Amino acid sequence: MSAAVTIALKDLSQRVRDRSVFIIGIVAPLALAFIFNAIFGGGFSDVGQNITLDIGVVDEDGGPIGGAFGDILREIEADGLIELVSYDDEEAGRAAAETGEVGAVFLLEPGLSDAILAGANAALTVVGNVDAPTTTQIASSIAEQFSLGVRRGNTAAVAALISGAIGTNDLEAVAREAGTAPSALTIGTVEAATRQLDPSTYFVAGLSVFFMFFIAGLSVTSMLDERRDGTLGRLLAAPISPSSIVGGKSLTSVVIGLVAMVILIIASTFLMGADWGSPAGVALLVVAVVLAIVAIMTMVGGFAKTAEQAGNLQSIVAVTLAMLGGTFVPISGEGFLADLSLVTPNAWFLRGLGDLAGGSIGDVLPAFLVLIGIAVVAGAIGLTLVRKAVRV
Amino acid sequence: MVQPVLDVVGLKKSFDDIHAVRGVSFHIDPGETYGLLGPNGAGKTTTISMASGLLESDAGTVNIYGEPMTTKTLDPKAKVGLVPQDIAIYPDLTARENLRFFGKLYAMNKEALKTRVDEVLEVIGLSDRADDRADEFSGGMKRRLNIGIGLLHGPRLLILDEPTVGVDPQSRNAILESVERLSDEGLAVLYTTHYMEEAERLCDRVGIIDQGEIKAEGTRRELLRMVGKADRVRIAVSGGSHNVAESLRALPGVTDASAADGMVELIAGDAGEVLADVLRLVTDAGASVMSVAVDEPDLEAVFLHLTGKALRD
Repeated sequence: MSAAVTIALKDLSQRVRDRSVFIIGIVAPLALAFIFNAIFGGGFSDVGQNITLDIGVVDEDGGPIGGAFGDILREIEADGLIELVSYDDEEAGRAAAETGEVGAVFLLEPGLSDAILAGANAALTVVGNVDAPTTTQIASSIAEQFSLGVRRGNTAAVAALISGAIGTNDLEAVAREAGTAPSALTIGTVEAATRQLDPSTYFVAGLSVFFMFFIAGLSVTSMLDERRDGTLGRLLAAPISPSSIVGGKSLTSVVIGLVAMVILIIASTFLMGADWGSPAGVALLVVAVVLAIVAIMTMVGGFAKTAEQAGNLQSIVAVTLAMLGGTFVPISGEGFLADLSLVTPNAWFLRGLGDLAGGSIGDVLPAFLVLIGIAVVAGAIGLTLVRKAVRV
Repeated sequence: MVQPVLDVVGLKKSFDDIHAVRGVSFHIDPGETYGLLGPNGAGKTTTISMASGLLESDAGTVNIYGEPMTTKTLDPKAKVGLVPQDIAIYPDLTARENLRFFGKLYAMNKEALKTRVDEVLEVIGLSDRADDRADEFSGGMKRRLNIGIGLLHGPRLLILDEPTVGVDPQSRNAILESVERLSDEGLAVLYTTHYMEEAERLCDRVGIIDQGEIKAEGTRRELLRMVGKADRVRIAVSGGSHNVAESLRALPGVTDASAADGMVELIAGDAGEVLADVLRLVTDAGASVMSVAVDEPDLEAVFLHLTGKALRD
């Protein structure tokens, strides 16, 4: 073990010396964070303009507020953004979201209108499907906008809206004239079978994992570089086991990977307001995903004879897994692609973070265990393959 | 009987259809410098790769002080210092850092390592450049650092694989002097080379290797004798030498002699052993010695005799 640590410290020292550790571990993550911030920092309003999303509504209110909200939804439906499906009761609506029949469902509770008109609080709930994060976010956004209009208006404005004296497009103007009023309508917590990440966090997390693949690839390419340069022979002539060499190289990747992830998490939190969730849960997931990725890259690199070959193979695998795992485009609903995504650490990491968002640390255990399982299986295969490469 | 530092018996290694090493056997005693002399592709590097535990043999055994050496055994590896043919150092680390890193792999404790690093830097003449990065060194300095790494942990056997290939004459001489000094200090050395003069200068015994086989083995003199090679002595004289040939032929160690036109010529197994007697006989015969020339056959001639080709073919 001490030989592995010695090799890892030497490698890290070399990476510090040639500045690659700063580029890979600090500069690149920060640059990515800034890019993410520029792209996603202003919100998520552009997403989905050219697609149609299935959204359900359960109007148990039956009053004027529910009716007004239904009118707004139908206007949006007319614009082609959503396809609206009505359900009779909450149970049917939740079931539809659960099974993926719709991506999200609005629940308007009984007595909603009466409560708002009486100046009391009431809740509009959005239930999202676990595999439809985009739809859930859009539904949430619609509800937020409606809530904002109601909050900014007063009862008279709402009444005017209900009576048809003003249109929904005029609601904000009326509200501005009316000044701020006590909150009347609040949005119930967005619920889903598994909780959803906000878009910024989702994409930062996904791209961080994608980036991690290239850091993890260093473990094998560094060893193949040593073979090319003749120093591997020297290591093998020393009284240490070949496993120590592989272990040392992997340890280097794990350390750089963890440092990069921590920096990216901190930077995205402060720069973009990303919400990663409970630090302990995030730490578990980060450690697990870094181990899984290092193991996968070790396995992939084990098929290569040169560092160049390993780099090419690892790039192909990194991009493929990122696409399958929903890094670039969230994979919604059920079906072959959704099932296939579950073979990737990318999807499990995102799912784990989703489970953690607003949940507890215990909720990340399934994802954590799957990632550790991937690390163990891929690591075992990888070590077997790479040990064959540990030769002069 | 002294236990050999290295004992190689019946070593074989093939790579697909290529039989790189075909039953090589030799041993090295403590303090001895043994040379493997052969052309490129003779099997020298493959042999020492197995001897240093880098490569598993197909057949045969390697023992270091009686302990079997394989790719998996660790203790014998600690007794061996390897200096590979290609420079195997980390160019982005300093000389001191290179030495310290490899010392740690040999489990040297911190204090001993610090002292030993300074000693080795002194031995390889890099004390004043200890904290410079290796990529700032000349080729010769890198070579010396390459040797220093092999020496660092105080091995019982130092294996050098063609350490002077591609080295300028000055650095080459420095390397050879270092090896001579280490040998004088009692370190056992296995030295591979295709330079005949290096083998002759450094090695107590030489194994002539070609096509994966040791063709002959022994001291330089034994090898020359084995193939019937002898020294030729030519003495330029003035007067009184015409009757000396018969007396010279009667000297032990002299196989033939002739005298004519102011020139005495003779063939001897070892010119150094008979030269004093030869000169005494010539002067006793009334001749004055004008000059003496000794042509010694070399290992190149032995190699040519054994393999039918020159070392650099």
